[in-house]
Amino acid sequence: MKLGKCWTLSLICFQGEITSTRNQLQGKVAEMENFAGHLEEIFLTVEENFGRQEQHLEQHYNDVLQTLSQRYDDRETGLQEEKKGKLESLYNQLVACGQALDTSKELIETAQEVYRCQDKRLFLKVTQLAILTCSLVVASITRVDWLCICVIQTAPSAPVINPQLPNSATQTSLHVCWSLFSDDTVEYYELYYRPVLEDTPADESKVKVKETHCTVTELLPNAQYELWVTATNTTGISPASEKALYMTVPSPPVIKQRECSSCPEAALIRWESGNTNPVDSYTVELSETGTVVAVPTCQCLIQLQAGRQYLISVRAVNIGGPSDRSDAITISTTGTFFYLLENTAHPCLSMSEDGFTIFYGDEELPITAMAFEDSTFTRCVAILGDLIPVRGRHYWEVEVDDETEFRVGVAYEDTERDAYLGANGSSWCMRHIRTPSRHKYEFLHNGWSPDLRITVHPVRIGVALDYDRGTLSFFNANLEQHLHTFHCHFHNYVHPCFSLDNPGALTVHNGIQAPDYTFI
Amino acid sequence: MALTQVSSNKCAGGLQKVFKHDSIELKCKMKFAIYLPPKAETDKCPVLYWLSGLTCTEQNFITKAGSQLAAAEHGIIIVAPDTSPRGCDIEGEDESWDFGTGAGFYVDATQDPWKTNYRMYSYVTEELPKLINANFPTYPDRMSISGHSMGGHGALICALKNPGKYKEYDATVLAASYFGPQLDILIDQGRDDQFLSASQLLPDNLIAVCSEKKIPVVFRLQPGYDHSYFFIYSFINDHIKHHAKYLNATPHCTATQTSVQSDRPLGPDAQLQ
Repeated sequence: MKLGKCWTLSLICFQGEITSTRNQLQGKVAEMENFAGHLEEIFLTVEENFGRQEQHLEQHYNDVLQTLSQRYDDRETGLQEEKKGKLESLYNQLVACGQALDTSKELIETAQEVYRCQDKRLFLKVTQLAILTCSLVVASITRVDWLCICVIQTAPSAPVINPQLPNSATQTSLHVCWSLFSDDTVEYYELYYRPVLEDTPADESKVKVKETHCTVTELLPNAQYELWVTATNTTGISPASEKALYMTVPSPPVIKQRECSSCPEAALIRWESGNTNPVDSYTVELSETGTVVAVPTCQCLIQLQAGRQYLISVRAVNIGGPSDRSDAITISTTGTFFYLLENTAHPCLSMSEDGFTIFYGDEELPITAMAFEDSTFTRCVAILGDLIPVRGRHYWEVEVDDETEFRVGVAYEDTERDAYLGANGSSWCMRHIRTPSRHKYEFLHNGWSPDLRITVHPVRIGVALDYDRGTLSFFNANLEQHLHTFHCHFHNYVHPCFSLDNPGALTVHNGIQAPDYTFI
Repeated sequence: MALTQVSSNKCAGGLQKVFKHDSIELKCKMKFAIYLPPKAETDKCPVLYWLSGLTCTEQNFITKAGSQLAAAEHGIIIVAPDTSPRGCDIEGEDESWDFGTGAGFYVDATQDPWKTNYRMYSYVTEELPKLINANFPTYPDRMSISGHSMGGHGALICALKNPGKYKEYDATVLAASYFGPQLDILIDQGRDDQFLSASQLLPDNLIAVCSEKKIPVVFRLQPGYDHSYFFIYSFINDHIKHHAKYLNATPHCTATQTSVQSDRPLGPDAQLQ
């Protein structure tokens, strides 16, 4: 029984819970319905507003279209009236013309009659009148006629001249092209040209051609020309085309043989422009490999391979294109090769024709007869070789005789020209002094030399320069005997240097492959 | 001939060894030092013989001169023998420092009691090279000789004497009558060498004779340097390079050079005093 009571109690409680939950839910549902109702109202309002906006826009659009078509109609009407007016006046002119023709026809007949009547005075009067009327008729006919002709044919429009095509020019000629962008008939073209000069304007020349291109010849090399063209037909001459600037190709440069030097890995080539006016750039060509190097100045250090022979030539380049090849120079990359710089030679030194032997003559030159320049040696009777501008190893030999007192070595470009080789920090040299009893040798730098004796006088001295190791070595080349090595850190490239301390001569031999023993 | 290794030390990538053997010329046990450069592991090498000065043994040069780096670089074997026979019990041999033990002078004695054992000239020019060539990877025809002080003189006389038969034993006199293939001699002399100032050394005489006989010599007077191993150490590189030029040279094709290379058995070089 207790169980039954409890069970009923819990049921009642449960029921109560259920009821309250149900009430809550009902409340929520009512809320939701409310909310939904609100949403609907909002939706309807928005829809209404949109509808109104749409209507306004449509109206506005229609108004605009109407205004535009109205304006169009007005303009059209105006133009039509104008046209009508013009046609009317033309018609009236034609009518007047026709009337005048009739009148003059009558008058001419009258004149003929009168002429037959043989009253000359009367005849003259009538003819004068006839002439006047005729001239009027003719004038009006001519005017009409001219109007018609103008419709049928006009003078050509200006041609369009093309810019210069690459590789179309030579040293003395230019190939010019142009076009006509209309259906005009053209009988011939006339091409005008004149060189662009700095100060005075030059005279123009002209050429008459039938085609739309022309080659103008007998021009100057590396020169700028102004060109323009006109087209002519029976009606008249077209306006001139725009002026175009063309350039002839430069003359080929000239390689300066005595200013070129080489070593196993490179060559330094120098040349003269070959043109009075500046060019844009130059190209250096190796004929064997077809390698081309472009440079802006008149010299080029070009990389090569050791132990070969090369043919090198140069072209000058401007907007018009490249010039012909200069005469080629042969470069051999065996050993190091350089010429002696004549402009550094002391006035008492003279050179052989091939440029490799120097002489110090016996005769005393008076000081006044000596011409010194900035780069010449003034005390030491010395000369520099061309700069060796490539890192690595270089070797050359100097041939002397038993008696010659000489200095042989290397020096920086700015070595003092009023000092003796080896007496300063910018030069290193081997020096030979001859006394009546023996030979003395010094290896000078900064005025200092080690104390050395050499028992066999070298008559062929090998000089080995190694920029990377910082060494300058001297050898008795005939005996393969090492004499001395300077250890120096070269902070710049150096020139070979040679001097004669007493009258005598020495000969430079280069372009020789360095013997193995020189670079251990 | 049996060689016994006394010591071996790795040095400059190669091996500095000392060997002992029974010498036939000197009739006693002799030691010599030999430096084998890294190249000797795989290839034959030329040999430079170094003759030391008074009172030295085979040890001084190998511990004080610093020659191993240059030898390794140029791939040259350096052999440094002792300076005299030892333990021969000859009366008076230890009396003075510059005669007898440690003072063989690289000559063959002609008088008693020295002539049995004191045959350093023959040892250095005959026995030792044969021994070296038989036991080590060498080019038998590529050898040169150098030395310091007594050894410098020894080097000169060995070179000057070898092309022919001479009885004289003074380098200057030898030079005066030298007749043979081209030589190339490098001599360094310390200017502050006490023996020079004491006029015990007379390089000027040698130079004068060589100038006259046209024997190529480059003689360098080094300021501030004395007679010691510090002096040797400072210039040993130049000397090894001087030898390397001939020992490592590849045959040339020009006539004059071929004759010089193939005929030349020794390229002499000396550090006097």
